[in-house]
Amino acid sequence: MYTFCLNPSYCKGCGICIEVCPKSAIKSSGRIDAKGHELPEEQDMTRCTGCKLCEIVCPDFAIAIASEESTEEVPNEEK
Amino acid sequence: MPISGSKHLIQPGNYYLQGAQACAEGAMLAGCRVYAGYPITPATEIMEHFARRLPQLDGRAIQMEDEIASASVLLGASWAGTKAMTATSSPGFSLMQEVISFAIMTETPLVIVDVQRPGPGQGYITTSQEDVMQARWGHHGEGSIIALSPASVQDMFDLTIEAFNLAERWRTPVLIMAEETVAHMREPLVIPPHAEITVVDRVKPQDQGIAPQDYLPYGHGEVPPMAIWGEGYNINHVSLVHYEDGTVTRYNARTHFENVSRIHQKIENHIDEITKVDARFIDDCRHLLICYGSVSRTGVEAVLEARERYGLNIGFIRLKTLWPFAEARLRALVPEVETIFVPEMNLGMMIHPITEALRDRCSNIISIPSLGCLHTPDQILARIREELT
Amino acid sequence: MSTSAHPMLKYLKTQAPTGPRLPLILCPGCGAGQVLNYTLHAVDRILEEDNWPKEHFVFISGVGCSSRLTSHYLQFDSGWTLHGRSLAIATGALLANPRLKIIVFTGDGDAAAIGGNHFIHACRRNLNMTIICINNGLYGMTGGQVAPTTELGETTPTTPHGNVEDPFDLCRLAETAGAPYVARWTTAHPRQAIKTITKGIRKNGTAFIEILSQCPVHKKTAPVELFRRLREITVSKKDTDAIAAGKIPLGEFCNLDKSDWIARYQQIIENARSPEAD
Repeated sequence: MYTFCLNPSYCKGCGICIEVCPKSAIKSSGRIDAKGHELPEEQDMTRCTGCKLCEIVCPDFAIAIASEESTEEVPNEEK
Repeated sequence: MPISGSKHLIQPGNYYLQGAQACAEGAMLAGCRVYAGYPITPATEIMEHFARRLPQLDGRAIQMEDEIASASVLLGASWAGTKAMTATSSPGFSLMQEVISFAIMTETPLVIVDVQRPGPGQGYITTSQEDVMQARWGHHGEGSIIALSPASVQDMFDLTIEAFNLAERWRTPVLIMAEETVAHMREPLVIPPHAEITVVDRVKPQDQGIAPQDYLPYGHGEVPPMAIWGEGYNINHVSLVHYEDGTVTRYNARTHFENVSRIHQKIENHIDEITKVDARFIDDCRHLLICYGSVSRTGVEAVLEARERYGLNIGFIRLKTLWPFAEARLRALVPEVETIFVPEMNLGMMIHPITEALRDRCSNIISIPSLGCLHTPDQILARIREELT
Repeated sequence: MSTSAHPMLKYLKTQAPTGPRLPLILCPGCGAGQVLNYTLHAVDRILEEDNWPKEHFVFISGVGCSSRLTSHYLQFDSGWTLHGRSLAIATGALLANPRLKIIVFTGDGDAAAIGGNHFIHACRRNLNMTIICINNGLYGMTGGQVAPTTELGETTPTTPHGNVEDPFDLCRLAETAGAPYVARWTTAHPRQAIKTITKGIRKNGTAFIEILSQCPVHKKTAPVELFRRLREITVSKKDTDAIAAGKIPLGEFCNLDKSDWIARYQQIIENARSPEAD
């Protein structure tokens, strides 16, 4: 099972991640943040295969796909 | 910093060389191992000499597609840790101004030789001093610059080494404002023992024990230590107004002022250290001749004859450094005089900062212009006598 | 709140004493950030597989939105340089240190307009560098003006009555000028782009890789719409019928073996320094 980790301070709501996801695992949240960006969120991560296309196409390095197998704590860039 | 012991470097001794060759040999002794250029009369001999000689020293010479590319090569070479030079003439010098401006802001050591020819436009291919203002003001934006003025083949050798040393010491582009006369003339040249030649290299952060994670590309002092590419310092060269850490967002007027004025003052605060002025017969002189470059050769002849044959008490000053302008040094040297003559191979350029500096010491400052050819001693002397007798 | 970070962030400078450097200054949905993402994936792969020292990688850019990628983001040596002159600067760096692995980010205006002369000569000289040209068909930074790659008839702020010029085919230009490795993809072809960039970096000689990209702000179109359009207007280079009908070919156009400038000049150095030469 994968987790869609989004860094909201990097994401600009371009929607390309949603567009490329082959499994429709993520969707637009429908909410606009304080900067005017419509951020994505998980739709159904049981569909996610961990292909990481969303990570690859993200223009702002805002996404990380985490698998529950990986126990390594990656530093939060938000600091 | 000792000169590398390559047998291919020009060896100590007496030579009879062209100014162009002397310039190139001086550069190679100073450690220049990258040359890029574009053919242009009367500077091409310098490139041709480098093209023959640099491979012997494990260096690389390239003819680029234009002068802008040639100057741009120097940026990359310098950032990769190698001393680099180009030589051009006046039209090519105009093309290089953007790169010079960029080099000032990024604080990149490099040397550009302008073998001046007359303008404007194609002008002609003889000698000139018409770019001496362009040297200071030709680059867009603020920022001071260092410009040297050789007057002999020996100078073409000595001042080229000096130019590289100044560039490395102050992290700045340095201009050698030669003229066709001095680049094409052939004269005796003395190469001293290599141990007697001082060669300066840039200070790197490693030299000051600064680790990559602590390094501020534009910090650590008036002249920031310079990291070179390939050594793990993750240095980014940037010419937009920047903070000491190299970031470029969060623009504000105060940071802008600090950034640019440090670069400006880096040179302007050290004029005494940087500049060289020669003076003869200054004590109690009643009149004065101030000149630079090749005109110094005929100018000094005119002064000697004026003194010995006509009994005129005229002193002689030669500016070896044009920029930064040695105003304080001039004011310290020059007493109150009745007349100052400024012969130049242009319609009067350095006469302006000279007048600004000495206006209260002399109310009769006279330009002696010549376009396209070197003044003869007689020409200068005639003007002196016309004024004084 | 997320606890994982994008895997390529390890190659970026995210913080500064003055505050966070990210997100990238680029507009939402701009393709340039994607090209950086693809390039870092390529470099990551090479660092893992080829044992090249990370310190040897150098990124050089000129001026424009594409060139902002180096402005203060990279955990590599880099240079954010003069408009159009990055290839000449890269040439200088290689003449000084041929071991540097130089990757140039440029745009269509930076490479083919003001940089055109340096572009064709860099391809001709075959120095070992990878040129990644982010082609959005306009001048983004200054407001969307016409570029040498803008389609005929397009309205832009400097062609308000329609562009009367035909565009360059940058890949054909590079190939004709002599670059031994020339390829084209779009931001909508991420895996192909990463594979090609990897190959280009590994290629000895000048590798020219054009990535067609989207500018949502000046096209006044949502990023996703432009992303889809990039897939619609392009085809594999093998689809000659579609290309004849006006689609843009994608893929590798040439991959030649050609001795590079440094290797040829090295022969000159060795001859000049040999004992017989004295």
